[in-house]
Amino acid sequence: MGFAVALAVAAVAGFIALSYEILWYRVISYASWGLPGAFGLLLAAYLFGLAIGSRVAGALCKDKTRAGDTKQLRALAIFTFVANVVAWLVVPAFGLSAKKYDWPPALAAVALAAALLGAILPTVAHFGIKPDDKAGANLSYVYLSNIVGSAAGSLVTGFVFLDLWSLQTIGAIIACVGMVLVAALVAMAEMPPSSRAAGLVALLGVSVVLVKATPSVYDRIWERLLYKESFDEASTRFLDVVETKSGVITVTQDGTVYGGGAYDGRVSTSIRWDRNGIFRAHALGAMHPAPKRVFMIGLATGAWAQVVAHLPHVEKLTVVEINPGYLTLISKYDEVKSLLSNPKVEIVVDDGRRWLNRHPEEKFDAVVMNTTWNWRGHSTNLLSVEFLELVRARLSPGGLFYFNTTSSDDAKMTASTVFPHALRVYNFMAVSDSPFSFDEDRWRATLTSMTIDGAPILPDDDDGRAYLEDLVRYADTVNEPPRDDGLERRESVLARADAAGARVITDDNMVTEWRQVLRFQPPP
Amino acid sequence: MPGRAWIYAVFLLSGFAALLYQVVWQRALYAIYGINIESVTMVVTAFMLGLGVGSLAGGAVSKDAKRPVLLYFSLVELGIGLFGIVSLSVFHAVGDVTLGMGAVPTFFVTFLLVLVPTMLMGSTLPLLVAHLVRENKNVGKSVGTLYFVNTLGSAFASAASVLFILGRAGQSGSVRLAALLNVTVSLLAYVAHRRATRPREIAETLAKAMAPDGDPSGPSLRRGPPAESSKAAENV
Repeated sequence: MGFAVALAVAAVAGFIALSYEILWYRVISYASWGLPGAFGLLLAAYLFGLAIGSRVAGALCKDKTRAGDTKQLRALAIFTFVANVVAWLVVPAFGLSAKKYDWPPALAAVALAAALLGAILPTVAHFGIKPDDKAGANLSYVYLSNIVGSAAGSLVTGFVFLDLWSLQTIGAIIACVGMVLVAALVAMAEMPPSSRAAGLVALLGVSVVLVKATPSVYDRIWERLLYKESFDEASTRFLDVVETKSGVITVTQDGTVYGGGAYDGRVSTSIRWDRNGIFRAHALGAMHPAPKRVFMIGLATGAWAQVVAHLPHVEKLTVVEINPGYLTLISKYDEVKSLLSNPKVEIVVDDGRRWLNRHPEEKFDAVVMNTTWNWRGHSTNLLSVEFLELVRARLSPGGLFYFNTTSSDDAKMTASTVFPHALRVYNFMAVSDSPFSFDEDRWRATLTSMTIDGAPILPDDDDGRAYLEDLVRYADTVNEPPRDDGLERRESVLARADAAGARVITDDNMVTEWRQVLRFQPPP
Repeated sequence: MPGRAWIYAVFLLSGFAALLYQVVWQRALYAIYGINIESVTMVVTAFMLGLGVGSLAGGAVSKDAKRPVLLYFSLVELGIGLFGIVSLSVFHAVGDVTLGMGAVPTFFVTFLLVLVPTMLMGSTLPLLVAHLVRENKNVGKSVGTLYFVNTLGSAFASAASVLFILGRAGQSGSVRLAALLNVTVSLLAYVAHRRATRPREIAETLAKAMAPDGDPSGPSLRRGPPAESSKAAENV
């Protein structure tokens, strides 16, 4: 019986531990804007806790204790109970920590919870396995059981729960699963019947308290993580929160969108009142004579896709977006929701690089990518030499690749090194195998002829005409000394990036992700 | 018997190397198969299943008390290191061939890709638990301590990988470092194995030499079983 109990406890404990880890991963991902260093340190804290917990628990296992002695289950139940409560409190600990010190102090809470969760495996192994020649073999079954439970936690929580419920609901559910495990251990432990009954009733009470308390303890966790010291108990609240298994999207009251905690743009297509540098999307019309087939990686607020879909000559726009939550978001905003029903636009939910890899037959006149921050985890996949070569293979003759470097010198250097023709447009790079320029006449024609959902992008009045002339003059900045928001030729880009110590990004070196391991974003 | 501290140090390094591989391999696989949640889940699950199957294999091998589990551990680490050296090339080659596959075949390919190394990794804990339990007869203590040092090694690797290693060595440099650690661990484990078995061999050689007419069960050692003989030789 002892061995079977050990197998079951190891499995459920694995499920709970991995489920909590997924929640913590999501929280730190949002709090750090997806910083790869934060993921590594979270894992380090988690593993460090597991290590300490298993060491302490191992030291507490007495030599004389007989395998299968149900007295041990009492200690195991206490460990599991405390571990469960502490693990449930880790998410609020991140919220508390963000107010003053950002996310790093919360790693101590992760380590503590992991230590308590880590104490379960050795304790349960000591309870369920006899110290004979088969100890290694029996341990392997307990270990396997723990791994199967962990894999189930990864699948069920990461794949199903995150798509169905909010973080706080899942926190309450996992806490309840933990309490069921504790109750099972109490039910099997050797103790007087009255103590057992009292213990089970107390557990029921604690579970009810946990469920009832979760909404207030986890209250506005995403707001706390984003606004940090600026969070105000009375007034800070997002306009919209979309949580799916693919990530968390939040919208502030002024319409700014944060995907996974990182600034993702604004729901605005207005070039006249340009709050999000949307003129860079229109600029594609100045650089390509007729971009009929356009491919775009990343939908986000839909503003860029909306503009590109309405550029002159565009006949088909294929957009690949990794997080379907953005489709839900776009459907709520009048300025961009027509994108979802535009017959010229095809939206695919997939990984952009994989989609390109899997569609070698597709060719495009332009590939556009308003890339996320160059230092975020896995940004290498969209900035490396290997990726640029992949894009090159999907470009039609004369095709243009136009993407956001988020001001990374490494990204600018990589683009200008891989392609023989390049132009910097603000913080974007336009690159091609064929010569091209920022043509003033095409630029003027784009700005004057373009409409979005039937409305001209610039008003036909004095103010609109004056603004048009301002915009058209942008084409001249290529002849001026380089400035951050202007145009810059390839040779100048290369020389300045080289002087700044830039390196060519490869899948192997992941330069941009590791230039600065720790960085903390100010609140909006 | 080799000192426990030796075994713990060896297992700490083993945990360090394993985590380094995991970080790099996951990144390499995500670049091939995507970083959408489906791919991430597939890769993580494949890793876990591999570890689980390996755990079973290690446990099965360790059942027989006569088997030299430390020698097996040494060979396992060598195997991980050898795979590690070629791992990124293998992933990319297989990735190029299988990119167009659907979700289920992709899972199986990913699983097969990581099956061999993760199986080998998963087998290490049961092998060493079997070794220590033969000595101290305390399962909780053995599992707890070995799990502690191995996980501590992984924790160090996780922090070191983001703070120092990945930025300086990149993916290929990181797996080379991990492979070097595996080979070192393999050698150290082999030394531990030799230290555990050498006294018995000496005792048997002595017994053979002292026996009249080459009779290995000579009078001076005839009463003692091999283990006692080995202890006696160790004391000498």
